[in-house]
Amino acid sequence: MIWLTALTVAGLAALGLWMLLDRNLKRVVLGIAVLGNAINLAVFAAGRLGAEQAAFTPAGQVPLAAANPLPQALVLTAIVIGFALFAFALALLKRSRDLHGDRETDHVSAVTEEPAPDLRQGPDREGQA
Amino acid sequence: MLQALLLLLLAALLAPALTRLLPRHAGACLALLPLGIFLWLLSHMGSIADGQVLEQRVSWIAALQIAVHLRLDGLSLLFGLLISGIGSLIVLYAAGYLEQHRQLGRFYAYLLLFMLAMLGLVLADDLILLFVFWELTSVASFLLIGFQHDKPEARRAALQALLITGGGGLALLAGLLLLGGVAQTWQISSLDAAQVQGHALFPAIMLLVLLGCFSKSAQLPFHLWLPNAMNAPTPVSAFLHSATMVKAGVFLLARLNPSLGGSLGWSSLLIAFGAATALLGALLAIRQTDLKRLLAYTTVAVLGQLTMLIGSNTPYGLQAFVLYLVAHSLYKAALFMAVGAIDHATGTREYPRLGGLWRFMPLTGCAVALAAFSNAGLPPFFGFIAKEFKYSGLLELGLVGGLITTVMILTNALLFAAAGLVFVKSFLGPPGAYPRQPHEVSLPLWLGPLLLALGGFLLGAWNSWPETWLVNTAVQNIASGPVDVSLYLWGGFTPALLASLLTISLGLAFYLRRDLLLKLLGRLQWFWQFSGDLLWDRLLKRVFAVAALTASAFQHGSLRQHLALLALCISLLLGIGITWLGWPLAPFDLHQASLPALLAASLSLLGALGAAWLPGRLSLVAALGLSGLGLTLLFFLMQAPDVAMTMLMVESLGVVLLALIYRRMPRVAPQGRGLAWPRALLAGLFGLSIGLALLVSSAAPLPGDLAQWYLANSYGQGHGANVVNVILVDFRAFDTLGEIVVVALAMLAAASLLGRTPAKLGTGDPVFASSLLLEGLKPLVWLLLGASLLLLWRGHNLPGGGFIGGLTAAAGCVLLVLMHGPASAERLLRLRPRTLMGIGLAVALLAASLGLLGGGAFFQAHWLWLGELPLGTPLLFDLGVYLCVFGASLHLFQRLTAEEHAA
Repeated sequence: MIWLTALTVAGLAALGLWMLLDRNLKRVVLGIAVLGNAINLAVFAAGRLGAEQAAFTPAGQVPLAAANPLPQALVLTAIVIGFALFAFALALLKRSRDLHGDRETDHVSAVTEEPAPDLRQGPDREGQA
Repeated sequence: MLQALLLLLLAALLAPALTRLLPRHAGACLALLPLGIFLWLLSHMGSIADGQVLEQRVSWIAALQIAVHLRLDGLSLLFGLLISGIGSLIVLYAAGYLEQHRQLGRFYAYLLLFMLAMLGLVLADDLILLFVFWELTSVASFLLIGFQHDKPEARRAALQALLITGGGGLALLAGLLLLGGVAQTWQISSLDAAQVQGHALFPAIMLLVLLGCFSKSAQLPFHLWLPNAMNAPTPVSAFLHSATMVKAGVFLLARLNPSLGGSLGWSSLLIAFGAATALLGALLAIRQTDLKRLLAYTTVAVLGQLTMLIGSNTPYGLQAFVLYLVAHSLYKAALFMAVGAIDHATGTREYPRLGGLWRFMPLTGCAVALAAFSNAGLPPFFGFIAKEFKYSGLLELGLVGGLITTVMILTNALLFAAAGLVFVKSFLGPPGAYPRQPHEVSLPLWLGPLLLALGGFLLGAWNSWPETWLVNTAVQNIASGPVDVSLYLWGGFTPALLASLLTISLGLAFYLRRDLLLKLLGRLQWFWQFSGDLLWDRLLKRVFAVAALTASAFQHGSLRQHLALLALCISLLLGIGITWLGWPLAPFDLHQASLPALLAASLSLLGALGAAWLPGRLSLVAALGLSGLGLTLLFFLMQAPDVAMTMLMVESLGVVLLALIYRRMPRVAPQGRGLAWPRALLAGLFGLSIGLALLVSSAAPLPGDLAQWYLANSYGQGHGANVVNVILVDFRAFDTLGEIVVVALAMLAAASLLGRTPAKLGTGDPVFASSLLLEGLKPLVWLLLGASLLLLWRGHNLPGGGFIGGLTAAAGCVLLVLMHGPASAERLLRLRPRTLMGIGLAVALLAASLGLLGGGAFFQAHWLWLGELPLGTPLLFDLGVYLCVFGASLHLFQRLTAEEHAA
């Protein structure tokens, strides 16, 4: 099972990074979700696979070959936080589009960041704005 | 002692308010505090002179053996008296000098803060405590130099002083940490000289400490901040930059002389740097025409001599150190204050424009005369005794001493001439061309200088008094062994007396032929070029250029380059780690994978591939959803029902959110071919390294038995069969609290990015209109809400819990919001989603705080048994999680749909 999981993790991580490196912000936001999924799966698998029973102990009876519950708890909260982050990234995407229109990722900071006050006289390095 | 420091802190805090209440008398009131400290220190002089010490110890960081350890011995008593005595006069003087200033209260506060730092520094018997006060003096000095912050030169001087002394402070910190480590103690009084000096690290310790001390005491090449610090108001110059702060470095040298001193390296460094600083300071002083800058450079010269005297480490030298220190503090503070008074009265500090001031300002003149005589080292003033001992101490060093004595005679002759400029040129002779008609200054302005100058005279004339009470014990604290002290004005015809006579006659010659001297010095153009401030500016310019270069290399504003660099570093680090471990991969088991698992994994990979490739918006949303679904199945197959259910809910909500936002955006245009290959290579490398890292980490069995512990104790201690849920709400509940706070904040932030909620949510048109859905929906929403409560309730023993329940409830209400408009969910719940979220957080906190009942810990669980059914605070906490997640998610969706309606 671990090789299958590792292959999935590797594939998802590679695709996630590929999307993060896209020029289009809409794809970048999707990349956040995919990379997040890859890492969640990796953390989960690092707690060792091969369990035959879920981590339930009815009446205190610990089943043989029960799953490791700790990474499950960690990943569970990570998924919810990942959702919140995804929502935030989407909101940010929408906001930046509403304010500045469609932009390549590299040029977003050029319109949103003010140059440092001391450098204002200097040559405008980010003149594309 | 600690009380004195705390009182100073209190006074500093209250000073602005007091000055507003009593604008006229605040200075006098505040001066009472240092005066009180002065008197208190005086009352201990007897016992300290008998060789006793006063100690006070308060535990601070017990684990590191760092304590607030204060110790009053001869050396700290001497410094304490100078600080508090001169300090009280300075506060009084400032009241007169800055009478009209708008921010006088703030000035008092800074001044008292500085006094606190300085007193703490001399009293500290702990290396770390000492460093804290040391830095505090730098900060207070920065604030005081930059007090007139509307002047650019004041800001520059303040920054320069801070950079130089602060940089030295860093070196000092390193030195003190090494020292403490080598000596196995932070207590200064128990440092063992043999142990420290025998250690291999001793040269490093010595150099670092010396760097700190030299920067603070303006030794070559750090001397340049001191004259610039004269941009501060005169009371500051008189106090900090002549009498006290610049002495902090010398103080630390003296304090550490018993433990670090005695070696040849220590002595040679101190003598060489001290002598060079002294001569340079004196040469620079005589070239100035501004009296304040002139005094500043003479201070540099004196600091150099003091450093040198510690380095001499002879009985006479150390006595001369203490004597010269006291004499200089008294006359230099007096001279600075008097120059301030002259500035006040005539409107100028340029001595070529001064002269004949005696008839206008006799009291100030008296003070200047007395102080200048002491400065020039004339008998019977204290400065004379100091000079005699200085020469005796240096001559004890033999051949080197002879050479240095020659340099010192030159230095002191120059100082003599400088003193002449301050008194004779300014106060005697024909009246100068003053900018305004001079007048005698008010009482606070002449009282301080006169008292200090008189003190210098009296201490010299009746020199057995300071010998018995002050100098003796202080010298014992500096020296490594016992030293016999006896002061005298007349010691017979000694070589020292000869040197003194030579100094005075040379000084007279310098003063009388100063035109010639200045002309000669003026020829050394190249020398002034590099000894001055110019180098500093050039250095700063370089530093800024390097900083700008570094920053622009990394802060280029390109998200893709940032990410690429980060990913590359992660891949390389993982690769190095895996190689270092020798590639121990988990055994190959791909052929054993079950068909459902293979299908689930392929589904998630194919989905992700689609999300990476497809251009259409709807297909993107579908692809991402598919990928999440595949992962959900995988989690189910790997015996993680709770994780899988959470994933399922999150994916459903995420897809809806994505669809809502993307449907208003254009297609995602395919990329140009430009940089596809490097990008693919990097992505592949990144994925590969993470996958390999997982295989390597799974090669060995899991260390420890944490999993077994949770499994074994979940039912017995947490009364729950669902171990994952028990971990979330009981064992690691604090984590969970932090996580729901993050979720709440992220959702709030996302929602506020989407714009303001309209004050009244219109019922408006639904987003998706279909009469069948509209009618059929309500029962479905109720079903989902009911199911979510069931999931919450059974979560402790069966798959479910607060997170899953909250997400399910949110999904139900999101359906409602989409169909019936943003206000519908609010009508149904009779609560704003945001309020719901707040209630959830409050309930979670309440559950955590209930643990405190009966002396328990935060989050300690309490249980109540209803027959067989255990009810406890973890369940209440889970309810909080449910409400928080529910409210936060719904809040976002409501805001999003409300905004679409408004648009």
